[in-house]
Amino acid sequence: MDTGKLMVVIAGGLLLTGCATSNPFSNIPVEDRSTVRSGQPSQPVQVPEAPSGVIVTPMDPGLGVRPLEAEPIFREQRAVLPPADEVWQPSSPPADEAWRPAMPPADEVWQPSSPTTQSPASQPGSVDNAAVVALLDTARQETSQGDLRAAQTRLERAQRIAPREPEVYFQLADVKRQLGQFMDAEQVALRGVDVASGQSAQLRRLWALVSQIRSEAGDLAGANDAREEASRH
Amino acid sequence: MQKKRVKKVQSSGRKAKKRRSILGYLFSLLLKLSILGVVFCAVLLVYVDGQVREKFEGKRWELPAKVYARPLEIFVGQSLSQDHLRKELNQLGYRVVSSANGPGTAEFASSRVRVFTRGFVFPDEIEPSRKLLIDFSQGQIQRIVDETSQQPVALVRLEPSLIGGIYPRSNEDRHLIRLQDSPPFLQEALLVVEDREFYDHFGISPKGMIRAAVVNARAGRFVQGGSTLTQQLIKNFYLTSDRTLSRKLLELPMALAMDFRYEKDEILEAYLNEVYLGQSGVRAIHGFGLASQFYFGRPISELELHQVALLVALVKGPSFYDPRRNPERAKARRDLVINLLADHNYISVEERNLAIAEPLGVRESRRMQSGNFPAYMDLVKRQLLKEYRDEDLSTEGLLIFTALDPVSQMHADAAMSEMLADLQKRHGERAGELEGAMVVTDPRTGEVLAMVGGKDTRFEGFNRALDARRAVGSLIKPAIYLAAIEQGYTLASVLSDTPVELRLPNGDIWSPQNFDRQSHGDVLLITALARSFNQSAVNLGLEIGLSRVIDVLKRLGVERNIQALPSLMLGAQEMTPLEMAEVYQTFAADGFRMPLRSIRMVTTADGQELSRYPFQLRQQVAAEPTYLIRYAMQEVGKTGTARSAYQKLPADLNFAGKTGTSNDQRDSWFAGFTGSRLAVVWVGRDDNRPLPFTSTGGALPIWTEFMHQERSEPLVSRRPANISLQWIDESSGRLSDPICEGSRQLPFIQGTEPRASVDCGQFVPALQPTPSESDEGGWFRNIFR
Repeated sequence: MDTGKLMVVIAGGLLLTGCATSNPFSNIPVEDRSTVRSGQPSQPVQVPEAPSGVIVTPMDPGLGVRPLEAEPIFREQRAVLPPADEVWQPSSPPADEAWRPAMPPADEVWQPSSPTTQSPASQPGSVDNAAVVALLDTARQETSQGDLRAAQTRLERAQRIAPREPEVYFQLADVKRQLGQFMDAEQVALRGVDVASGQSAQLRRLWALVSQIRSEAGDLAGANDAREEASRH
Repeated sequence: MQKKRVKKVQSSGRKAKKRRSILGYLFSLLLKLSILGVVFCAVLLVYVDGQVREKFEGKRWELPAKVYARPLEIFVGQSLSQDHLRKELNQLGYRVVSSANGPGTAEFASSRVRVFTRGFVFPDEIEPSRKLLIDFSQGQIQRIVDETSQQPVALVRLEPSLIGGIYPRSNEDRHLIRLQDSPPFLQEALLVVEDREFYDHFGISPKGMIRAAVVNARAGRFVQGGSTLTQQLIKNFYLTSDRTLSRKLLELPMALAMDFRYEKDEILEAYLNEVYLGQSGVRAIHGFGLASQFYFGRPISELELHQVALLVALVKGPSFYDPRRNPERAKARRDLVINLLADHNYISVEERNLAIAEPLGVRESRRMQSGNFPAYMDLVKRQLLKEYRDEDLSTEGLLIFTALDPVSQMHADAAMSEMLADLQKRHGERAGELEGAMVVTDPRTGEVLAMVGGKDTRFEGFNRALDARRAVGSLIKPAIYLAAIEQGYTLASVLSDTPVELRLPNGDIWSPQNFDRQSHGDVLLITALARSFNQSAVNLGLEIGLSRVIDVLKRLGVERNIQALPSLMLGAQEMTPLEMAEVYQTFAADGFRMPLRSIRMVTTADGQELSRYPFQLRQQVAAEPTYLIRYAMQEVGKTGTARSAYQKLPADLNFAGKTGTSNDQRDSWFAGFTGSRLAVVWVGRDDNRPLPFTSTGGALPIWTEFMHQERSEPLVSRRPANISLQWIDESSGRLSDPICEGSRQLPFIQGTEPRASVDCGQFVPALQPTPSESDEGGWFRNIFR
């Protein structure tokens, strides 16, 4: 190991130790994320200021920080590469069929997943289950005729049949919005966002709906956030 | 009155009076008496008429609320096995026949099923009775065709199974039927046996009474009653109240009044619904509609001739002719009814012979429903009693639509009783009286699908799923680790599994042990959770603070007060299985809390909506920390304390869960979920004594058996956009590489990945070129990125 490298390590180590052993009255040197608004655009999580190599090992209710482990750790190389762990993302989210357990290709492992690498956008309303299509169509008619209760009953029936179908959540949220149940409407739409993960077109519509719900409920800042989120998909 | 009596005394006192005046007195007395009689009769008639009307109109019967299970939806593309459909139809009392030709029949072939549905009036729409041909292939429904219209059908609902009622204090139960619903020969048989002149007499039949008196006198004992159906109806109206002499005397005028006031058909219909036909425990079976379910498990309209005859035979004495207790007597009387029908030319000789050749064919069970769901019914009733008055529930005939899945319930019951019996056998005396409880939900909707309240799953008693508050043990740990992840910990954070000593407020020293009585030193967070190490959990919990753990528990769904004691970290807090299901439901629903629901809708007897319980949810935990904690809970099954479950379950199920064993092994818990089912299982003893096994030995096998029977769907966790996967060194938690020994892949919230890396030469391009890594610039960049 050359001296330059060593100097950098030591300098870095000192710098970071300073950060780590900061406040004796607070034993958690991290940002409180619990106040992050749930369902918000997932802002990059603040890295805890604990530097690499520092291991938080509470021995007792006091603060315990181990000295910086500066030494590198060496490992043997494997002869055979392990299969990637089954952290698996369906390429096109199945509506309700049994999912195909598939190993991701090895190179996918190095690709940080981002919305843009997800499946091509499915068209809004392109539902492949005929039963759900029928229920959604009837619910749409009922909604337009102002029979919101009937539409709600029908959409909940659709949800039980196809709980992973974003369109169901979209329509249900919209019905709740028209019923003036803004809190419920927003949450159902956010659940739709959760379910629609990876389907850009649906995400765009759902976030637009969230924006509309929030502005109708008087939350203009929240509506703005949701509009921005919609434009990202 | 007083005056008259005085006169009477006077008249009898004067013996010297002439005959003429005695006659005159007698005459005037008679006159007065007859006026009195007329007045009395008029008063009586008004009274009787009022009584009759009160019974007949107004609230004629107290109708218990009917509680229904969820209807089975059948649609193209559904994963439904023929076996599942068969169980469902069996529960509904369908007959499996060689040719389905009427409502309530089904026909099974190798890859198709023909079902003649009964239809049902749902509150939202009417589901007609249809003859359907359902094609199966590879465990899925390929096609549904309505054979009458020859049209393909996308979606049908079977009628919901009736799972119970909420009964009035009188414990009377009935299913009202209309006269036109009655099956062929019911009216004929009833009249020919009980009251041939029904349509001709005026409420009472003097002819019949005289004939009965003659027959009885000749026989020297009571063989024949002279009562008309009208009189019997009146008798039945007052059957449950006291049968006083005055009631008996009132019977005749009441019969007359009733006949005068109402149509014959109205009286007959009332009779069909009122007559007492049997006893199910404390519950009196009234009317032919309910009796049909009680004896044959199917609607009255589907009864065949010999079955109708048996019900008519029972009118004379449901206990004496009880077909379950006295089958010979019942058969003889039934055949008498059939013969009477033939004698009066209602049926042909062939029909008679065929009917007489039939066995009684009565269901064995004396229970009203083909299934019995005491724990679930308890849950439903408690929910209802929050909003409805007891007497409305038991008298207004409300319809309660619930989410109970009878097939899931069957599986839960079976898993519980089989595995508990097995445990009892294996551990013998040491196990004591084992008890268990279970809550099953659909993680996607938050509906409670099934509930088991104790070892005897059919017993209506202490409902442990709702009422047994027990120490939850390690079931608490995912909440601690989630709180830590929200504070910036990662699955690769290194925790210290070392002895910890705490001075409690009362001065005691508390030093929790690991299950294997060893400390494991530095362990990754994911391993500490997967293998349920106690010391690392306590150390971690103390580090992040009790208040944060309690905050997480509240957000996940715990509503009771949580004691802020360090022992909370090991689950000393007592909670019920239902409460734990609420908590795990939030994990299962990606951080959205869904209040668990058992009732979908309550309507009036004619289908008007009274209340509904809509799908509601609140996001309580952000998507990213939820994803990580679920990943760790999946590790529990893959490599951790619940790995034995995979001996029975398919490897791709990917379930997430947590074992829990409370202090001194008094409670054995498992809570876990797949893509389509969440179940929380508790096993323990009512006297709270230690068990000879842990979670893995008690609750987990029950959970596993249930999931096995359910063939539940694999758990798919959608990876949020800002979760990245990294190769991690398993013992140091540093970054690593697939080619390094001891490396594994873990998900991280972007920006929380470790920065230091182990070195196995992966950064030397010459040795092992890894294209995507080489452009990131070696380990300098990895440290200081």
